[in-house]
Amino acid sequence: MSIRAFVYRLCRKRVCLARLLVAAFILFPFSFLLVLSFGRRWAYPALLPGEWTLSNWLSVWGAQAGLGESLALSLALSTGIAAVSTAASFWVSRQVAGHRYRRHWLLLAYLPYVFAPVVLAACLQYFFIRAGLSGKVWGIALAQLFITFPYGVIFFASFWTERMLALEQLIATLGGSTWQAYARVLLPVAKDTLMTCFFQLFLISWFEYGLTTLIGVGKVQTLTLKVFQYVNEANIFFAALASCLLVLPPVALLWLNKRYVFSRYFATKTPRH
Amino acid sequence: MFLEAIDIKKAFGPEGVLRELSFQLAEHEMLSILGRSGSGKTTLLKILAGLETPDGGRVLLRGQDMGTVPPNRRNMVYLYQEPLLFPHLDVFENVAFGLRLRKLPAADVRKRVMEMLDSLELPEQARKMPHQLSGGQKQRVAFGRALIINPRVLLLDEPFGALDAETRASMQALLKRIAETFAITALFVTHSLKEALIMGDRIGLMQEGRLKVYGSKKDFIADADTGVQEELAFWREVG
Repeated sequence: MSIRAFVYRLCRKRVCLARLLVAAFILFPFSFLLVLSFGRRWAYPALLPGEWTLSNWLSVWGAQAGLGESLALSLALSTGIAAVSTAASFWVSRQVAGHRYRRHWLLLAYLPYVFAPVVLAACLQYFFIRAGLSGKVWGIALAQLFITFPYGVIFFASFWTERMLALEQLIATLGGSTWQAYARVLLPVAKDTLMTCFFQLFLISWFEYGLTTLIGVGKVQTLTLKVFQYVNEANIFFAALASCLLVLPPVALLWLNKRYVFSRYFATKTPRH
Repeated sequence: MFLEAIDIKKAFGPEGVLRELSFQLAEHEMLSILGRSGSGKTTLLKILAGLETPDGGRVLLRGQDMGTVPPNRRNMVYLYQEPLLFPHLDVFENVAFGLRLRKLPAADVRKRVMEMLDSLELPEQARKMPHQLSGGQKQRVAFGRALIINPRVLLLDEPFGALDAETRASMQALLKRIAETFAITALFVTHSLKEALIMGDRIGLMQEGRLKVYGSKKDFIADADTGVQEELAFWREVG
């Protein structure tokens, strides 16, 4: 074997090893959580839990833990909020893009993030109590819209370029109504952007803690709140189990995004010869 | 008169872009409008298409006031410098777009689109996506998409501005040919003196928000404001 071939093989082995190490480093916390979720009775100085059981997972849908209920509630809440915010912010961002005070409207959209969502929640809490929305699922939904909707508007601001507005005008002169412009061109062209925005808004809502705690006053138990509750109780096995459940939907969405958005994006960017 | 603009006024802020601009356009005529950047050429075309609202004046099409007619009911297609093809549709569907909006039968759409692609020398490109086409091919598809709906007026805003010299010349020839074939009524905006002379049946000069339309190309060439005399003097000097 030549020296060059030897060096090449050595480098390849090292690259493989480095990749494995990086993968292990990333996956370790998740696998550790999964292992913990099957454990019971873990006393110091044992390296692993003293007992392995499926009962933690089997109790997900039990009334006592209420994890299943929290999972269903979080899924419904985040999916609904992401869907409503994506649709509304897409339309509103178009109106903002064509407005003479576009920059002022966009500055307003940044406000919830300038103050931080939890500060915004503290400001809004009084009004939510007066409106009877405090401690209600609808209250949480409305409060989360205060942060997801502006995010969507900011997100889509870069979509409505001069080119997009020109496309819309061109469709009008070709005889298309506003509805036809959206249905036949703007929505299909924006499909990937809409999916990415939906994914990001889902994540914002899914992992939202401070605002949900303040407006929900502990009565609305989302999955994120459940994780913190178990951590505060030092119930590490159920905290691990709740964390596993918390990670699953984002991972599924990430896979969907990778499968249907990023792969297509890179396919269209590949130069053709 | 087929198309008539009467005392059109438009200002953006304190500065007037169009100042009591008036002109007439006969049916099947192509009027070249020559003007520098920022002279208000694009604003004029957008007002005619209904994409901008004038501050004053009227646009008449066959005597009908277009003031309250929305852009999608005017049947006046505005073409940009960029072809603006729909990126998710192939060439066939891009050309068929206007017919699909009008919900024509599929067989009719197919027949008319294939005829249009033939006349634009693009039949082999029918199933290609826009990113697989050259600049000239994209512009031809954009013409086909506009022409297939038989627009009453075609508003061309420097359509060859982004093309190289060779492609530009062949596109000018192609547009002249299809303008005759389809008996197009059009306004062709350009900042190129040569292009204005090649493309227009008549020529207008846009200056300080007003449009001066010449009776003949000779009148246009003779006018010192158009810059033709300077150009001719330059070439004589070089020669």
